[in-house]
Amino acid sequence: MTDLLQREAKTRGHIPGESSMWFFVIGDLIIFAGYFLAYMYYRGQDPELFLESQARLNLDIGAANTVVLLTSSLFVALGTSAARSEKTADGVRLIGFALTLGAAFPVLKLFEYVPEVLAGVTPGTNVFFMFYYVMTGLHLCHVMLGLVILSFVIRNLRDPARKNISFVETGATYWHMVDVLWLVLFALLYGMR
Amino acid sequence: MILAPARRRPKLDQWLAFATVPFFFTLFGIVFVPLSGMMPPRSPSSSPPQIVDFMQSDSLLVACAILTLCFGLAPLSNAVYLIQIKRMSVSPVFRYSLMVGSMSGAIVGMLFPMFCFGLGAFRTGYDPSVLAMLYDFGYLAYIGSLGCFCVMWLAFGLAIILDTNSVLPKWLGYYTVWQYVTELMAAPVWIATSGPFAWNGLMTFWFAMMIYVPWQIIVYVCIHRSIKNQPDDELENA
Repeated sequence: MTDLLQREAKTRGHIPGESSMWFFVIGDLIIFAGYFLAYMYYRGQDPELFLESQARLNLDIGAANTVVLLTSSLFVALGTSAARSEKTADGVRLIGFALTLGAAFPVLKLFEYVPEVLAGVTPGTNVFFMFYYVMTGLHLCHVMLGLVILSFVIRNLRDPARKNISFVETGATYWHMVDVLWLVLFALLYGMR
Repeated sequence: MILAPARRRPKLDQWLAFATVPFFFTLFGIVFVPLSGMMPPRSPSSSPPQIVDFMQSDSLLVACAILTLCFGLAPLSNAVYLIQIKRMSVSPVFRYSLMVGSMSGAIVGMLFPMFCFGLGAFRTGYDPSVLAMLYDFGYLAYIGSLGCFCVMWLAFGLAIILDTNSVLPKWLGYYTVWQYVTELMAAPVWIATSGPFAWNGLMTFWFAMMIYVPWQIIVYVCIHRSIKNQPDDELENA
């Protein structure tokens, strides 16, 4: 109990991770919010075209990717919590699992993009597909960067000399943001009717 | 024996070069926006007579003349940034990437449009179809020249984030990552000729400008602080 209280006292009044990462996360969310608003505006201009094009997306892979990212995020959270309570080996294992799951995202995306492009559905097809390729492409760049960051988190945890909880929290914060962005993207591009 | 006189203003060289940066960007802004009307970008689907009018206008001629004369100031501003990046604890690969990226970026993003618009303005007598091609070429080079700038901003952003000497603030590194992302956003201008992804569109131009303009000013302020805080014994010409 005292342990718990001490931990609580330590975490009170402190932002998880580096504050510069929070600057990035909040700014990135604002930028994406701008893109989402623009998408909604142009969707409103031609709802039939957007609905019709939306129906051509592969909802199954989109849903699978949502599950992959959500599960990966859960393991990052569990890993961070383990690292905080000095269970470093568990932390490495959990974040390693999150990284593996996260790495499935670009592979699944490839299975989505390639058949679409081969079927002649490209960014030039219409404004919906331009939004689709640009926004999912930008998000994919974020995922790739996230995978690099998670690898650095694992390296950081493995090396006792380097171990730094703040860095683990910074990586976890970034990965959760990638997850949140995907949830909105998935709802807007695949789900909205 | 000759003793070197004590240098009273050891950073004078950097301050002089630094002073050219606001001058250069202000001049750039005046040339592109009110003088030539090149920016905000004209429509990619302008009619041939509109293109001919613009390409052969006197104001475009004056703008191109000014650009030709002051083009050399671009390397100077990059040199100021590079001196500060050299102080960072990161691999030299970053500053060389930035250097080469800024050089190739200036060639494609500034010299190419200058030649295209300059040809239209200085050489009358081209067919409207040739002028239309130069118009496309000029704008695509100016707005769609993403590759060079992408690598350049990424190198700059990563150098700031990875640096342990705190030469520039970390958040500026993250801001620079957005700058890199907006360059990626410019890719669709090659495909779309109207709507939000054309070269004058909301997504490719206006959003990018909303990020770029404050960024340019903030970098200027941060570099100013960084030069000010540079210890005298770290100066290469001390």
